[in-house]
Amino acid sequence: MVWQKENKFNYETFLEKHKVILVFFMLLFIGLSIRLFYLQIIKGDKYRKISQQQRMYNTRERAPRGIIYSADKEVLAENKFNYVVFYHPLKAHQNSLEQVIVELNKILDGKIKQIANKDLKYGKVVKLIDNLTVEEMFKIQEKKLNLKGVSVVREPRRVYFHPEAISHVIGYVNEIRSNEIENMASQGYKIGDYIGRGGIEQEYDKYLHGKDGGWQIEVNAKGYQIKAFKYVTPEVGADIYSTINLKLQKVAYDALKDSCTARGAIVVLDAKTGAVKALVSCPGFNANTVGSKKFDKYLKNGNSPLFNRTLQALYPPGSIFKVITFAAAADLLNINPSEITFTCTGSFEVGNRHFGCWYKPGHGNLNFIAAVAQSCSSYFYQLGLKLGIKNLEKYAKKFYLGQKTGIDLPNEKKGFIPNPEWKKAKLKMPWFRGDTAIFAIGQGAILVTPLQMACIMSAVANKGLRYKPYIVDKVVDFEGNEIYKHELKFDDKLELSDKTWTLLHQALLESVENGTGRRCKLEGIKIAGKTGTAQNSQGKDHAWFTSYAPADNPEIVIAVIVEHVGGGGLNAAPICKKIYEAYFNIEPTNEFNKEDDQ
Amino acid sequence: MIQERPFFQRLIFSIDWWLVFSVMVLMSISFAAIYSAGINYELSFRYVSVQLLASSIGFVGFLFFTGFNYQYYKYIGKLLYIFSLMILVAVLIFGSVKRGTKGWFDFGFVSFQPVEFAKIVFILIFAAFLDICSKESKKISFLIFAFAILAGHLTLIMMQPDFSSTLSYFPVTLVLLFTIGVGFFRLICIMILGILAVGIPLLATFIDMQLEFLQGKMLLTKVAIFLKTGWNVFYFIFVILFLIMCGWWLLWKLKIKIQIVYPIVLSVTILLGCMASIPVKNSLKDYQRKRLIVFLNPNIDPRGSGYNIIQSKIAIGSGKFMGKGFKKGTQAQLGFVPEQHTDFIFSVIGEEGGWVMAQLTLFFYFIFIWRALMIAKEARDRYGSLVAIGIATMFTFYVVINVGMVMGMMPVTGMPLLMLSYGGSSIFSSLCAVGILCSIHSKRYTYC
Repeated sequence: MVWQKENKFNYETFLEKHKVILVFFMLLFIGLSIRLFYLQIIKGDKYRKISQQQRMYNTRERAPRGIIYSADKEVLAENKFNYVVFYHPLKAHQNSLEQVIVELNKILDGKIKQIANKDLKYGKVVKLIDNLTVEEMFKIQEKKLNLKGVSVVREPRRVYFHPEAISHVIGYVNEIRSNEIENMASQGYKIGDYIGRGGIEQEYDKYLHGKDGGWQIEVNAKGYQIKAFKYVTPEVGADIYSTINLKLQKVAYDALKDSCTARGAIVVLDAKTGAVKALVSCPGFNANTVGSKKFDKYLKNGNSPLFNRTLQALYPPGSIFKVITFAAAADLLNINPSEITFTCTGSFEVGNRHFGCWYKPGHGNLNFIAAVAQSCSSYFYQLGLKLGIKNLEKYAKKFYLGQKTGIDLPNEKKGFIPNPEWKKAKLKMPWFRGDTAIFAIGQGAILVTPLQMACIMSAVANKGLRYKPYIVDKVVDFEGNEIYKHELKFDDKLELSDKTWTLLHQALLESVENGTGRRCKLEGIKIAGKTGTAQNSQGKDHAWFTSYAPADNPEIVIAVIVEHVGGGGLNAAPICKKIYEAYFNIEPTNEFNKEDDQ
Repeated sequence: MIQERPFFQRLIFSIDWWLVFSVMVLMSISFAAIYSAGINYELSFRYVSVQLLASSIGFVGFLFFTGFNYQYYKYIGKLLYIFSLMILVAVLIFGSVKRGTKGWFDFGFVSFQPVEFAKIVFILIFAAFLDICSKESKKISFLIFAFAILAGHLTLIMMQPDFSSTLSYFPVTLVLLFTIGVGFFRLICIMILGILAVGIPLLATFIDMQLEFLQGKMLLTKVAIFLKTGWNVFYFIFVILFLIMCGWWLLWKLKIKIQIVYPIVLSVTILLGCMASIPVKNSLKDYQRKRLIVFLNPNIDPRGSGYNIIQSKIAIGSGKFMGKGFKKGTQAQLGFVPEQHTDFIFSVIGEEGGWVMAQLTLFFYFIFIWRALMIAKEARDRYGSLVAIGIATMFTFYVVINVGMVMGMMPVTGMPLLMLSYGGSSIFSSLCAVGILCSIHSKRYTYC
């Protein structure tokens, strides 16, 4: 009665189906085996690596950042140690985060309001509160038994000693943002790292940040500690010696702050090296308030205190640009400096348009030198037309306008030099002769930064030798090795004839002695400078003054701009004078000189 | 003619030693893996002892079913069916709830999951039905009757609700129907109907929940809102039915003649599915809904079902060629893979034993299934062949779904790996199934 024999037809059809089923099942198993082979043999190394990584966890012990010093050996930024409370769920049977917060609030009178970082994922540490006082720390340590999973850690915290005055030079630090981490990961940054923002903190972050240490431990899937492997001591960051002269910086900041609008910028350069002696942008901010509500207010403030005006703000140069027009004219046109070649009537006609001189009644008869000293616009209109836009553009570029100075600070702007091609492409208009005329006095679309203006003066002071401005002199690591040192070398030489340089010096000296810059005149020290009054569409004119001193053997170069206050000679030159007084120790009237006496 | 041999001699002759050997190998791998997986929970000893106990009970079952002539099942098929239904009803009334499923009889120390047993009983019943009515296999009424049998079990299991256990019913049904000679076209029709019949109530519930919990995908939410307003849903169903009839009529005009039965069955299925969705929606309890959500959309799982899959892939992949060694798998010992002693046991084998052990496991599994299919080929009657093929299919699909899931090729379903996963009921019923196979095998040359 075996069906194989009894029911042959049925059995044969069954055998066919049986074969199909067998092959089908075999294919299924082959599919599984291929996948297994792929996972274990082909991708095995990758998965082995992941499995190693995810059982390792590093606790973080923050490294203190390096200290930043000024040139006069003052500490500008340092670390203070404070106590931070972490929720650190590394062991089973710990209190939950909510319980811990309730308990801690009992001790600290409800100091913990909310936690920024709520995602408690597999043993991730949650920072509950920082900036604890010692008493509070002891209170918590006493009740440690009720607070399982809480650890109090001594952590370095950045402290800035001269907030506001020097805020833009130093910058500040805060935690790296999650959207930045992708780009920064290649440079070795991790989530939770502190990173410098703005100023030296940002530019020299790689030297300053040191190396975090901590325990390397094995954790299980819940993030609980299984065993500890090794401890890495944190490495202190390298110290930075900047070229900033704190005294000058403070004088400059206070002088700017006392001005009408309290908005502006000052750059003080060492004429012989390019070292930045002071770099002031007003208003400043207090970097010690980072992370608090006070700091958020800076973001909304209309005066934009976080903005470093010395290298990020773009202004029209105004009459300062006449220095360049003058140099071009002296170089290219054969001008007799003492010959009276032009009479200013207070207005100048180009085609059918009238261009006014700042002095409405007119300067009358002028020679080449007096035209600079009086800053006569009419004179320079005609000079500009004689030179033509090509030459003006060429000389503007020769004086490094429209390009970055290359200072070792982040986010520098390069400014803008217009030309006929640009105007045609952008505004769909031809370049008029009037455009050339106002270009010659530094108005129109031309934009510069205060630092660039200081660099022009520095080049003039050095008769064409140009030093790259720099702010960090050297970096010294915690063992005392010098790991970075600024190399002094001039970038480039601005080739102009000796006659041109002499004429320029003469004109700039005259400008301070008898001309528009006379409010900066100092007893005993010869100062060469140029005022500027930059018209702008936002409001009152910007006041410029750039200068160098002593004129015979230049030591320092100063560029001052005060926003929306009016004429440069009236508003910017006196501020500059205060800085010279401080530098040359003339008129000992303020407390800084007392300090010097000590 | 009948030569009486001593009992043991007959036993040795009648048992398929390859089959038994492969089962023994798989079970020893299972003990080692369960022991290692349990270390993390500090329950190794308990797991292994429970598994040992269940295996020894299973061994008794194995001996019993080996000795019992399988041909009787065919004659008591109806009785068995009624009995299995009663057990499934009983578990709904007296059972206890574990992880959202009311599917366990709890006897204090031991608990038993009747679904595991019902699966095998179903194969016996279904094979009996197919064998008896095989002459009518070309008729539609045959199919309808076959699905009535299936529906009895499925409805009761769905009510627990244990969705993953119902999954193994479908391949078994389809493969057995294929074996008995149902055409390909009809099988495909059956698949479509099956998907509709089960899919519509699930979809209806899902759409409801979309409104309540998720509000994620815009399109689905919009569809849900559209269907929920006024009589829209009825118009919608009516339009679909009308379209089906129009389509059929058009085809008829184009000389493509399809029996009127097909569109009618299709329409009736859709209607029934829609009607069934009302009681399904209303009768679901909260925990049942939760389970359904996780089944339909595992991403809602707070830790994410993606997490399980990623971790088990890492575990298997990191085993590489030779594995990390017994009790040395970091993924297993540090608890990265969840459910590693039950559903994800294969990840422990892959991690600690490497490719060698994992491939060996698959190989012995295939030997087992190959032997089951050979038993089907050599069986004394068609009933035996059908039962053996049913059992082989069940094991195959458990392996494919479970191992596929562990290796990230299949969605996460709560299906254990038969004979390897920790679980008393499943090892017991698996051994009983092996016993039935042996019974079929032992009768192959016996003439009466």
